[in-house]
Amino acid sequence: MDPFRLLGLFFLGLVLGGAQAVTPSHYLSQSDVARLQNLLGRPFSDLESAYYSVVGLSKIEAAVPDHKEVCQFLKSQLDPTSVDSLFFAAETSQALSGCEIPVSNETRDILLAVVSEDSSMTQIHRAVSALSSLGLPLASQEVVGALTARINKEDNVVAITLALQTASRLSQQAELGGILEEIEDLTARLDDLGGVYLQFEEGLEATALFVTAAYALSDHMDIEPPFKEDQVIQLVNSIFSKKSWDSLAEAFSVATAAAALSNNRFHVPVLVNTRGPATVSHSQPTLQLLVTDVLSRPLRSASVLLESAHAVPSKSVVLSQAPFILKDDVFELNFMAKQPASGYYQFSVAVTGDSRLVANQVELKVKVSTEVAVTNMDLSVVDKDQSIGTKTTRVDYPSKAKSSFTADSHQNFAMSFQLVDVNTGLELIPHQTFVRLHNHKTGQEVVFVAEPDSKNQYKFELDTAERKSEFDSTSGTYSLYLIVGDATLENPILWNVADVVLKFAEEEAPATIQSKTLYIPKPEIQHLFREPEKKPPTVVSNTFTGLVLSPLLLLLILWLKLGANISNFSFSPSTILFHGGHAALLGLLYVYWTHLNMFQTLKYLAIVGGVTFLAGNRMLAQKAVKRIAAEQSSRLAKYRSLR
Amino acid sequence: MSNSVISVISRFLEEYTTTTPNKLKVVDAYLLYILLTGALQFLYCLLVGTFPFNSFLSGFISCVGSFILGVCLRIQINPQNKGDFLSISPERAFADFLFAHTVLHLVVMNFIG
Repeated sequence: MDPFRLLGLFFLGLVLGGAQAVTPSHYLSQSDVARLQNLLGRPFSDLESAYYSVVGLSKIEAAVPDHKEVCQFLKSQLDPTSVDSLFFAAETSQALSGCEIPVSNETRDILLAVVSEDSSMTQIHRAVSALSSLGLPLASQEVVGALTARINKEDNVVAITLALQTASRLSQQAELGGILEEIEDLTARLDDLGGVYLQFEEGLEATALFVTAAYALSDHMDIEPPFKEDQVIQLVNSIFSKKSWDSLAEAFSVATAAAALSNNRFHVPVLVNTRGPATVSHSQPTLQLLVTDVLSRPLRSASVLLESAHAVPSKSVVLSQAPFILKDDVFELNFMAKQPASGYYQFSVAVTGDSRLVANQVELKVKVSTEVAVTNMDLSVVDKDQSIGTKTTRVDYPSKAKSSFTADSHQNFAMSFQLVDVNTGLELIPHQTFVRLHNHKTGQEVVFVAEPDSKNQYKFELDTAERKSEFDSTSGTYSLYLIVGDATLENPILWNVADVVLKFAEEEAPATIQSKTLYIPKPEIQHLFREPEKKPPTVVSNTFTGLVLSPLLLLLILWLKLGANISNFSFSPSTILFHGGHAALLGLLYVYWTHLNMFQTLKYLAIVGGVTFLAGNRMLAQKAVKRIAAEQSSRLAKYRSLR
Repeated sequence: MSNSVISVISRFLEEYTTTTPNKLKVVDAYLLYILLTGALQFLYCLLVGTFPFNSFLSGFISCVGSFILGVCLRIQINPQNKGDFLSISPERAFADFLFAHTVLHLVVMNFIG
């Protein structure tokens, strides 16, 4: 990738990040122009490609090779009866110097015959263009009539664009107002993509040709096209966002649009880019701006003014109303003359000098970078108990301390230093200031953040006892590095300051490396059942089982004593069935406890219970009959005895 | 005092043995049996613990339920209450007693675990 493209992308990011208004983010960089030129300059084999190639090259002001040979080619290929052939040859010859296509009266008649509302828009356009290029007279008002009729029939973007293009070849005296209004109608048909792009859904070629035709007709009529500034910028973005063109026709359309946008009477979009990264420093104090049109051609006549520059976080204005000076097509400003502190600055730049300029207010983000130096680097080992009597050793950047330092668990290793701006001598607080300890043997490294105190003095103290775990209690020789970095520093520092021997209190085995144990299967998770309740001793339970059953014995004894008996038991079937059924019911309840579920039990219960109920009913009925009979007879006997 | 209590009790026992029909005595013996069984279960619960709590509950509920059903049976077949239960013959009372028992013990068995 070339540096210009990278720059473009860089600016795209900056511009999209900060700006509210639409800014042109796509244009043809110098390498894009070269590629476009390369594509258009390919050898051609027919009149159509010759037209695209030669006219396209002339639009971007590139040299057309060997005019005479091309002119010969045109003459040899020309078919004087075909409108297309005549159009391509005539238009191409216009772009060449000293090339005239001979025309006969028949040819002229053929072309004039095409100009009617029965021909297609393309045919009318080609015929009118050919006539105009060949310097033949034509009746403009008739053409306008034909165009207006065709616009009503072929109401599409491509046809109307061709009508605009054709109208620009007609006499200014003709009534072109109606066709001019079509520009506004077509503008309303443009699709807005995210507020950045504006294009026809028919594609890049249609959009580019529309822009070309609109400016051609506007220039011809000297009436400003109805584009707003934002719309111009959005059109620029959509036409130049595509960097590889599918066909010669598409490349041609982009070339003509670029020509129209860089050279017309009304709108010239300006592109403001920095040359190289947007960075200034003491070694490179000037900010260099490239102010170009869409074809990356410098706008030498423009004047560039820095309206204001303010620091990004503080918003304080550092510089305002400072002009950039043109020097070899580059606009320069010595920003470091103001001695700005390092950091980022927001620049508001205005490009003036031409009323046609569009997008001439630009916001830039500029970095002021500087160099850092480490001073007053003092190293010492301090006893924890007595802070006096320590010997400090000063080390100068970039050399390394001659002797190594030893710190055991009763000592602290201390380090203090300052960071200053080499150019101004002021203290600096870079974003990143780290102290790194690297073990030679194990390769282990431990990084600490060094923090500045209120006087911007950096102090780093290593308590060997407290920090033991971070070193895995591994004693040994560590290399001490200081790391200083910041986006605005030109010379980030990595300095091996000294060697430090750290001795930790107890030499625990270094914790087994975690990563090894990380991937072995974890122990299986066993389900924990609820702990069973403590059971009483068996003797106690058995005793109570006996005790609970003992009243049954008492019951039997009492019944025997009372003289309960089964003498009344009759062996009728219902009696047996009833007692059997009742026993079965009790048995069923037991089986329910041990084996069955509620539903099975209810099913059996219904069967057994039903039988028992019927038998019981019968038995008890018989008993009732007997009892009532006995009662009656006893009553009768009583009655008789009374009598 | 104690004399009178003893005399009351002896009088009561005498009355009971002489006037209560034999059938009711049989039922009373059954009720005593149920009472003692329930009391012993409760004693176990107090002394040892409630551990198989559902078993204890079902056993105890069985006792309480049976006692109540027994008392109901006794009331219904008591000849002195005949006037109150004209529509319920002693056989009917006994059949009800058995039916209620079956349902009660179905529940108890369900509860025993």
